Amino acid sequence: MDYLLHVLILIAIYSILSVSLNLISGYAGLLSLAHAALFGVGAYVAALFALHFHAGFLFGVLCAAIGAGLISLVVAAPSLRIHDDYFVLATFAFQVIAFGVMNNWIGLTGGPMGLPGIPQPTIFGLAISSHAGFLVLAGAFAATTALLVRRLVRSPFGRVLKAIREDEVFAQSLGKNVTRHKLQAFVIGGALAAVAGTLYAHYITFIDPTSFTVQESIFMLAIVIVGGSGSIAGSVVGAALLVALPEALRFLGLPSSIAANVRQILYGALLVICMMFRPQGILGEFAFRRR
Amino acid sequence: MTQQLIANGIVAGSIYALTALGFALIYGTARFFHFAHAAVITAGAYAVLFGCERLGLSVPLASLLAIAVCGVLGCAMEICCYRPLRRRKASPLVLLLASLGMYVVLQNLISLMFGDNPRVILVPQGDKPFSIMGARLMPVHMAIILTSLALVLALAGVLRATRVGRATRAVADDPTLALVCGVDAHRLLLFTFAIGSVLGGAAGILIALDVGMTPHMGMSALLMGVVATIGGGVGSIPGAAAGGLLLGLAQHFSVWMIGSEWQDSIAFAILLAFLIFRPYGIFGRKLGKVEI
Repeated sequence: MDYLLHVLILIAIYSILSVSLNLISGYAGLLSLAHAALFGVGAYVAALFALHFHAGFLFGVLCAAIGAGLISLVVAAPSLRIHDDYFVLATFAFQVIAFGVMNNWIGLTGGPMGLPGIPQPTIFGLAISSHAGFLVLAGAFAATTALLVRRLVRSPFGRVLKAIREDEVFAQSLGKNVTRHKLQAFVIGGALAAVAGTLYAHYITFIDPTSFTVQESIFMLAIVIVGGSGSIAGSVVGAALLVALPEALRFLGLPSSIAANVRQILYGALLVICMMFRPQGILGEFAFRRR
Repeated sequence: MTQQLIANGIVAGSIYALTALGFALIYGTARFFHFAHAAVITAGAYAVLFGCERLGLSVPLASLLAIAVCGVLGCAMEICCYRPLRRRKASPLVLLLASLGMYVVLQNLISLMFGDNPRVILVPQGDKPFSIMGARLMPVHMAIILTSLALVLALAGVLRATRVGRATRAVADDPTLALVCGVDAHRLLLFTFAIGSVLGGAAGILIALDVGMTPHMGMSALLMGVVATIGGGVGSIPGAAAGGLLLGLAQHFSVWMIGSEWQDSIAFAILLAFLIFRPYGIFGRKLGKVEI
């Protein structure tokens, strides 16, 4: 039973990540390979605040979101001057640098040993220690994120984002501030990824850099693409599919030593197949077809 | 001390230059980010290991085998994945995503076959190190420099003197005009994927002989190549080679002052600086207004 709850909690956390990445990649059309880094920034900020200042969970969420939001701003502000492939490359570069910092700044992040002993969350004096309790918490955050992003993309702000993704020059000719909109989308997406990072840190109670690698970034992008770019329901479906599918392999009796590789092969292959036959994903509306 | 740093920088730089050339050749004609090139580099390294350990070949023979494997792998990607995608009028971003997917698949296949632990090829080292102007170089380092130099010169010759080489440069310069002039795009792309992958495979082999291999080596090698390509100016083949050498030197001098664990981060800080302040590189021409 706990195992099933564990999978559901992971799906909730990855839903937050994929919905927020969808805002960046699916709605604003900016392919980002830095999402795992921002997820990691959130996890580390929350863990450090909890370990050193005994900060409460909600305060940790707030700090993590602000921290990752600021870092997104620093990354995106210069990167948005460049386009398409080069933007992907710039986010990739940030991802590698962030991993380097997590892995090598041992005084702050514990390096490869990671940060153990992160407390389980307490909200308004209510300690959450069971899987069921955590699922309610993670589910609530996932639902809030989905509703928030849905509200955003249906607002005039969201319509401008879609216009930019379809034709940037056209959006500009209508007097829209293209750079500012992209920047806002990237910062909001980054801050939401940090919220997922906080949940992850408090749930696993141990973080190390291997959870925030570029492979993880590609995985999140695969969820968004396979689920459907530009569709919030698609991101949730994608997260459920790509998190649960490899878990199903466990029941085929694959030894755990190869399970991690098989999981990655599976989502890599899904990504290629998706690009071949349905580039807009299962429920998506945007197929990265901008000339 | 300085001589030794320069020597080490040149050794690292010539490998970067090879990677950069392979990547730049493909990027110049196919015009999308071929991330799966990283898997080709890794495949080159592991193919040598396979040849030496399981087939009992000598290192040179195994290297030839590995280069062939890489060339075939590159062509297979073009034929089985990129060509059908292009036929569906896929945008460069779609091709990029597909190549990310292929990279993940291939890298994990290699992990499954050979394990995640670092591996080395035992080369009969023997001989004393060479001593050149106060710097000491192991035979394997001499081999790296000479092989890279030979391959770079060979590539320059092919691009300059042969028909298909001229066609490659024409497409890199202006794809539409080249097509109008009757260049066969499919055949040409196949050619660049083959040559680019051979260069990438050669880089992988040299890295494997020098410091050994892990399934993740290809991505860090490729990224150094990308940094070199952009630093040298996208679209400029001599620029890519020079960018590789400069990057190697810059890295080794900065390691002297900072620390080797920050090597990747330094390279990427350089890349970000280039992307932001000089996206056309040191030697590249200034780009026109970016097309959207």
